[in-house]
Amino acid sequence: MVKSNTDALGIIFPNSYDSLVPELVTERLMASIPFAGRYRMVDFLLSSMVNCGIGNISIVVRSNYHSLMDHLGSGREWDLARKNGGLSIFPPYSEKTVKIYNGRVEALASIMDFLKDQKEKYVFLSDANIAVNFDFGAMLNAHIASGADVTVAYKEMEIPEAMKQINTINSDLYYTFNIEDGRITDIRIRPQDDGIQNLSMNIYLIERERLITMINDAFVRGNIYFERDVLSPKLNELNIQAYRYDGYLAYISGMKSYFDENMKLLDEANLDALFSESPIYTKIRDDNPTRYITGAKAENVMAADGCIIEGEVENCVLFRGVRICKGAKVKNCVLMQDTVVGEGADVEYVITDKNVTISADKSIRGTDTFPVYVAKFQTV
Amino acid sequence: MAKEMIAMLLAGGQGSRLYALTQKLAKPAVPFGGKYRIIDFPLSNCVNSGIDTVGILTQYQPMVLNEYIGNGQPWDLDRLYGGVHVLPPYQQASGSDWYKGTANAIYQNISFIERYNPQYVIILSGDQICKQDYSDFLRFHKEKGAEFSVAVMEVPWEEASRFGLMVADENDKITEFQEKPKEPKSNLASMGIYIFNWDILKKYLIEDEADPESENDFGNNIIPNLLRDGRNMYAYHFSGYWKDVGTISSLWEANMEVLDPEHSGINLFDDDWKIYSRNSGMTGHRISRGAVVENSMITDGCRIAGDVKHSILFAGVTVEEGARVEDAVIMGGTVIKSGAVVEHCIVAENVVIGENATVGAMPTEGKSGVATIGSGVYVGDNAKIGPDAMVSNNVKDGDEQW
Repeated sequence: MVKSNTDALGIIFPNSYDSLVPELVTERLMASIPFAGRYRMVDFLLSSMVNCGIGNISIVVRSNYHSLMDHLGSGREWDLARKNGGLSIFPPYSEKTVKIYNGRVEALASIMDFLKDQKEKYVFLSDANIAVNFDFGAMLNAHIASGADVTVAYKEMEIPEAMKQINTINSDLYYTFNIEDGRITDIRIRPQDDGIQNLSMNIYLIERERLITMINDAFVRGNIYFERDVLSPKLNELNIQAYRYDGYLAYISGMKSYFDENMKLLDEANLDALFSESPIYTKIRDDNPTRYITGAKAENVMAADGCIIEGEVENCVLFRGVRICKGAKVKNCVLMQDTVVGEGADVEYVITDKNVTISADKSIRGTDTFPVYVAKFQTV
Repeated sequence: MAKEMIAMLLAGGQGSRLYALTQKLAKPAVPFGGKYRIIDFPLSNCVNSGIDTVGILTQYQPMVLNEYIGNGQPWDLDRLYGGVHVLPPYQQASGSDWYKGTANAIYQNISFIERYNPQYVIILSGDQICKQDYSDFLRFHKEKGAEFSVAVMEVPWEEASRFGLMVADENDKITEFQEKPKEPKSNLASMGIYIFNWDILKKYLIEDEADPESENDFGNNIIPNLLRDGRNMYAYHFSGYWKDVGTISSLWEANMEVLDPEHSGINLFDDDWKIYSRNSGMTGHRISRGAVVENSMITDGCRIAGDVKHSILFAGVTVEEGARVEDAVIMGGTVIKSGAVVEHCIVAENVVIGENATVGAMPTEGKSGVATIGSGVYVGDNAKIGPDAMVSNNVKDGDEQW
């Protein structure tokens, strides 16, 4: 289902919802959070866009973007090292008069010259806190068919509890929609409703020329938020359509949901739903295959390449290069890249960040509602 | 700018003794060790040794190899000046010819080598599993003031007569060359890896080409000619892991040795000497509840619900519940259905082993055949494939092949 060209460019906001996972983003941002054994969050959107023929993708970063730059490189792994289009990363200017952007309006205003220069008719905007295998082409078709001015993707789901706790000082807002005949009639900001809602996935589709006008208009008025300040006041004026997404969605709203969303992929139906539509690309590490040594026991495990397993593993997601030493017992854990679990260690309900070492015979236990998190490069 | 040394990699071999595995691809493209192809070893050695220009001489079934090498990016060999180049035989104004022998293959590409104006040329073989630092070999070559050096391995005396042997003095200077002699005077076997001073190589290639009697082969013609002329020839001792995987049993054995790096000496888990390959891009492998995985290597994309013991599974292999795999090499994309028993064998890519089928058998007294299934073969439900079978066509449900 690969189309060679889609007349749209993609813009990703990699820092959105950083505030929901403060531990995971001390040295990175939402888009570069490792997920599903060998990926980073941004891989899903990038790959989905590329698989739908979007070959011009910009990432407007705000802060902590070293790990993202390292991950993306020239964009070659996503086939985005192109002469025309390809991957563009926009770091903030470090001038006194230019502040780091807060909302989407400011972010887009900061790349206005670039936007004006492009040829594509449409623009997709997206955050990176969702892992989806998303068909942008289908959304574009729906947009054209409905004659919408703006189309927004949403999913019928409950608002994650962690989202409701968002501190209002933070810029990370979330939105639900009232929808009539496909048209959005109300945008609700930070609602506290229970039950299934039309939760915005923050994937927007709009004509480039119109976006430029909107952003210029909003920016001179000092507006910050695209949804609150630009779309919401114009609900009557503009035909803003809602696009329902029914596919698999991993929505990262906090440490707990990060843990749960990884664990969910141990169910093969979920794994297939997320990965089988079209391939998800990521940075290659050239690991050797994973080696299970005599005495190893593995049950209900997803493991990437490069692991060495001598101990017992159950219900775990293991990222690349994890080592489980002899006699170690690891249960219900998400272990990121190059974690070492020492001999005889006993680990349950733990998330380890990259390069964590758990010393021999140590015992660490979290609970299913509160997994223990061990930060990058720590030795326990 | 001239290159100090470039590599020419002989990858034209048909590998006819691998039968079903090399029906559709050249021997260097044969998958190995879970996620590699044989050619990944010399290519990675080149890059890890600092060689950034490699000519790959292809002839037999080059399509898979061409596609695999691509622009050389996985080995960091996509370079502005140099990099990897696949060199099939081509038509010239004076006529065209297949590569008649190893020396002729290089001869036909003299102009390629001259573009880089190297001081030294290393000739590599595309069908060996070996981690070797060619820069150390070059250091030796320079220290000895050699015009030609060959990498040699000490082999047991009783096996020496199976090899091309270098007889050398205490300074490693080669005094004699014996090709598979009945009475070996040396146990230094040639690994088929040579470093030449380019001017010497070129001179002897041209001379060899002019000789209508010549077989245009390095071992049979070039090396004897160098000896005849009393050139400075040295033997470089290599003592690491080296395996010519020219036969089914040696290919199977080498794969099994990967599972035991502590004893076999072939360690793929070496961050200082990575072996690069083109990656499958599949998601992590899955081990289901109830599955048993013991002493095995499992690659991305595998789905395992059955029993896997002492085996190597390449990317995207499925082992269904109730299936049993032991001492087996299972290449990418193969599906082993429930109840099937797959033992002591090599199963190539994208094979389907039907329900309750059996493939191969554990060795018994005097019988240790490695059953081999070629790529894309469908082995029907309840079929039986004997331990000495070589299968390259589909096998119907319930059929037997021995």
